[in-house]
Amino acid sequence: MTLRYMRAAAAIAVPVLLASTPLYAADKQELSRILSEIKTLKKAYEGRIATLENKIKSLEQKKAVAGKKVTPASGGRAIKDNSFNPSLGIILNGRAGSFSQDGSEIAGFGVGEEGERGREGLAIDESEINFSANVDDKFYASSTVAIVREEGEDKVELEEAYIQTLPDAGLPDGLRLKAGRAFWTLGYLNEHHAHGDDFADRPLPYRVYLNKSFNDDGIEVSYVVPADMFIEFGGGIFRGDDFPAGDSVSGFGAWSAYARVGGDIGDNQSWRLGAYTLHSDVNSRATNEGAVTFVGKSNLYAADLRYSWAPTGNARNQELIFQTEFFHRSEDGTYNDTGAGTGAVNFDDGSQGWYAQAVYKFAPAWRVGARYSQLLAADTPAGLAESALDSAGHDPYTMSVMADWTNSEFGRIRVQYNREELSDGRDDNQFILQYVMSIGAHAAHAF
Amino acid sequence: MIKKLSFVSILMLGWALPAPATADVRVFACEPEWAALAQEIGGDKVSTYSATHEKQDAHHVRARPSLIAKIRRADLVICAGAGLEVGWLPLLMQRGARSNVRPGKPGHLMAAQHVPVREIPTVIDRSLGDIHPEGNPHVHLDPRNLTLLARELSKRLSVIDSQNSALYSRNLKSFENRWEMHMKKWNIRAAKLKNMPVVVHHKSWSYLIGWLGLKEVGSLEAKPGIPPTVSHLNRLLKTVSAAKAKAILRTPFDQSDPSNWLANKTNIPALVLPFTVSRNAKPGALKKLFDDILAQLEKANGRP
Repeated sequence: MTLRYMRAAAAIAVPVLLASTPLYAADKQELSRILSEIKTLKKAYEGRIATLENKIKSLEQKKAVAGKKVTPASGGRAIKDNSFNPSLGIILNGRAGSFSQDGSEIAGFGVGEEGERGREGLAIDESEINFSANVDDKFYASSTVAIVREEGEDKVELEEAYIQTLPDAGLPDGLRLKAGRAFWTLGYLNEHHAHGDDFADRPLPYRVYLNKSFNDDGIEVSYVVPADMFIEFGGGIFRGDDFPAGDSVSGFGAWSAYARVGGDIGDNQSWRLGAYTLHSDVNSRATNEGAVTFVGKSNLYAADLRYSWAPTGNARNQELIFQTEFFHRSEDGTYNDTGAGTGAVNFDDGSQGWYAQAVYKFAPAWRVGARYSQLLAADTPAGLAESALDSAGHDPYTMSVMADWTNSEFGRIRVQYNREELSDGRDDNQFILQYVMSIGAHAAHAF
Repeated sequence: MIKKLSFVSILMLGWALPAPATADVRVFACEPEWAALAQEIGGDKVSTYSATHEKQDAHHVRARPSLIAKIRRADLVICAGAGLEVGWLPLLMQRGARSNVRPGKPGHLMAAQHVPVREIPTVIDRSLGDIHPEGNPHVHLDPRNLTLLARELSKRLSVIDSQNSALYSRNLKSFENRWEMHMKKWNIRAAKLKNMPVVVHHKSWSYLIGWLGLKEVGSLEAKPGIPPTVSHLNRLLKTVSAAKAKAILRTPFDQSDPSNWLANKTNIPALVLPFTVSRNAKPGALKKLFDDILAQLEKANGRP
């Protein structure tokens, strides 16, 4: 209403003013009064118009946004995301390997199927198929099936099948529950799928203490502390079927606890430090292709440190990652090597294993890395002399160097050289050429 | 007169009844520009943290432990959205976020959902490069979008911290006034840059180009996210000269070699335009960002 009045007033006033000429000096004062009034009017009028224009503009913009949400410009299908279908991802990897030694026994340690050296010649590694999606507002679920070649047969292994609470699940902030089968929180590498590793094989402590990885059936709780620094702790209860446990009777054969902290140093450096423990009642754990059996208690303690430095802040272009883990295992029970006919021999001792590695990305697609990993075997009890568990005073070690080429986030080709001395005097020179490719959805990797 | 009185009395009321001291609203911004905008609207009632800095490409950030810690305590998460942070934000949300910053809550603000988005693809395939199905996420380089986001921020802050909603509205008003003034000046400068032909490294500048009316005559990346190749650059060499391109634009975090190579061959200046404000930007940094960008473009445009 006011606007219309003002517009009319301005429309009349302006031409009238322009047409008339100041004839009398007495009118000058009057004129300047009118002028200033018109100026005020004009100002108000412009202000109003601008407000209205802004309103229209914002409405139009809102409309444009709303319109886009419903129909894309092309009339093609609007693919916002795939959130109503599970994300599907497939990891394919294969290798060619050449080894200078026929056998690869790790003297002094019982080694499970997956802790053994990979196959020589041409072979595909685990092919992983992953489905994952939010179940509803409270749960997330993920399942990974691996097809692996074992004993001359392609076998389907359920690597992961878990549900996990989302922040909306009604638990206190920072608390998360994960149940099912998963790569549980233990050290650095265990949580990660092997396809994300920086080397073609896992370091020695993972091979002997975890049979590559610990993914028992169980439940794990974790809590992130509300603090400036990253502080997380948690623990879990597990069935006790997976290495280092085995063949559980009670179905509650293992438990774990962990704590870790992390943060940034300046803009471009990050670190994380953790301590972990896993306790297992081992009803029966078979290793060395069924020849060696352990019965008793197995306690594993681990510590890990990861440090990364991206000189410009862009890890995609240039980055140095240093990573190390230390394991101590103490076991109290009996070992029996049927291959050597030892019978059940009491064993109450500890051993250690560690590795340290550095990987340097010097160009967006190129990385080089070096790793040293070593085991410190326990003293051999008299009853186990000459068996697979006799280290003969030798501490197994592996030195590795690798270089890889990453064409995109989804494809990587790697060459690796290992020099292993896993038993006294048996040097093994290994060359591995490997590819790792993923298609479909691929969840982000954690730090 | 009455209006004036009531305004004064409201002011006095506000002064007489100071709100009880409360903790700041913690804002977790994925990129520095959103931290700076939140600071403009939130003033001293918010404390902002930017997950990335001005020399960092927000496409590729690690879900670092420090970010989990920061998002764990956030009251408001503000990001570009449209898939820019898809490589790390979902992981952070899963690992540490509180329920009040989950998608759909007032504490979850994705910029691309509140502005007209450009370049929404019609065909989606990874062989076409790293494309965002939701469209181009680099929305902040059109200052009109910042106005829209400032309004949304003020709304969200008023919901999250209703005690200070009057302050957020006031800050918004003052920001809008200042911004409108700047826009008037920028628009005058923009008119002289209209149709200036430019070559870009990545699709980082689409909103700037759209706002200023520049003409994009080539891209160093043949496909978004795939590093420039020699064969593609050779092809560009012919087209950009023919198109009389005035500048080659890249961000501080794009590789320098491709644009320098093209600059040497063609004598078209390679410009490193600031892509965003610094991580702990002072008030007014957003204005300076556009001033700096315009100044560099004007200089390049003025060359014969």
